[in-house]
Amino acid sequence: MTHPDTDVLAEFRAGLITGRRGARITAHLAGCDRCTALDDQLAGVSVLLASVPAPAMPDSVARRLDTALAAEVASRDNAERAGDDGAAESPAPRRPGGHRGFRLLTLRVLAPAAAVVVLAAGGYGLSRIVGPGQMTASSAAGSATPSAESSGHAYAPVAGPAKGAVSRPLGITPTNFPLVTGQRNLSPANLAQQARAALLVPPSARTTKTPSAQLRGCVGTLASGHQLDLVESVRFEGRPATLVVVSTGEGETALIAAQDCSATNPHVLDTTSLTSGISGP
Amino acid sequence: MPDEGWPADQELLRRHVAGDAEAFGELFRRHRDRLWAVALRTLCDPEEAADALQDAMVSAFRRAGDFRGESAVTTWLHRIVVNASLDRLRRRAARPALSAGDEQAFEALVAQDGDPARTSDTRLDVNAALRLLPPQQRAALVVVDMLGFSVADAAVILDTSPGTVKSRCARARARLLPHLAHLQGNRSGSQSVSPAQGGDT
Repeated sequence: MTHPDTDVLAEFRAGLITGRRGARITAHLAGCDRCTALDDQLAGVSVLLASVPAPAMPDSVARRLDTALAAEVASRDNAERAGDDGAAESPAPRRPGGHRGFRLLTLRVLAPAAAVVVLAAGGYGLSRIVGPGQMTASSAAGSATPSAESSGHAYAPVAGPAKGAVSRPLGITPTNFPLVTGQRNLSPANLAQQARAALLVPPSARTTKTPSAQLRGCVGTLASGHQLDLVESVRFEGRPATLVVVSTGEGETALIAAQDCSATNPHVLDTTSLTSGISGP
Repeated sequence: MPDEGWPADQELLRRHVAGDAEAFGELFRRHRDRLWAVALRTLCDPEEAADALQDAMVSAFRRAGDFRGESAVTTWLHRIVVNASLDRLRRRAARPALSAGDEQAFEALVAQDGDPARTSDTRLDVNAALRLLPPQQRAALVVVDMLGFSVADAAVILDTSPGTVKSRCARARARLLPHLAHLQGNRSGSQSVSPAQGGDT
């Protein structure tokens, strides 16, 4: 018979040619070394393709997907929250322009007395961040802004640019941010220095992952609408924690969020200003 | 089977639909290297593949509630990625299979190849050869021969019949053979044959 061409042999191998036509090809192969060799080569194509290792996903693509996924998660959370809020309460009033203090301290952290207990029990608790005199009715209503004087600490933003050319991931928001994975070991003594060093790492050199819902809630509360410059998993005095750097436009502040920090429990272990001349406790 | 602490894909998808913010990320990370491979090999372009994979991931995230468990979760994910990849090819019509004239460029690329026994060189050749195929044939071959899906699962992924999958794969293998035979090594009993030749015995 005529040698079957490659297409026919390939279809025969795939089981697409059966019956009398298939029997003829089988018989031909039994007596034709050339077609048998061609048939072997066709089988080899599949073997060869199967042997090619899968290409590794480039880090840049992985980071991009992580960011896109974080955005989707945040979008879904926001949609759900909007639905809940719409049913339960009126929209929050817009904050006036001008000076933008840390609403965290005035509205979300100070108001619940329970949070004070939790933070105080944490060692570097609320008392280190802001003085008790700030927990007033006005602050609970969101109209007061904590000051460095009253807290005796550097948490409140201080005017003036931070030193150094920091590397900020562009476009991240408190509800849509990649979590930089790392094992920096921080302490109260080196917090400002390490935070500045973390900011100097270019985004392309960072390894990130999608943050947990708990951490997103925590960071959203801590940043409270301010610019988010960095969120990085670290160890603080040996304990797992998260470094959060926020900017108000008047200065940058590094916060160490405890492992149990969440939207309803903004547990902060330590904080320091990254603004010139103020380096934390 | 997944053991304790390693939830099944379907369980992760269920948690995602129920509102678990981390479940989908874990699920996608579990499969994303293979999903990247299918997108990259179908599109033959890293930028396009990244776009397609992101489109697919977002689509899967949003449409997870539509998953009915009629196939494995990984099959469902691959289907979405393949669809996103083929949609991208259709929309842009930017990189169809190379024309006959382009095969000269392909041959030149093969000629530049070094030691074909080296994995990286083999992969380069295979990738170049894949570009010779029409997208549907390429997708079928990638899913079946390169990712190892059964014809039945490939039919689900490619949204076609098993017979069509077999046919596309067969035609793709026949088309690739002249370009890949030199990479198959010296297997005993085989001899190099010009695949295109036919004739009387």
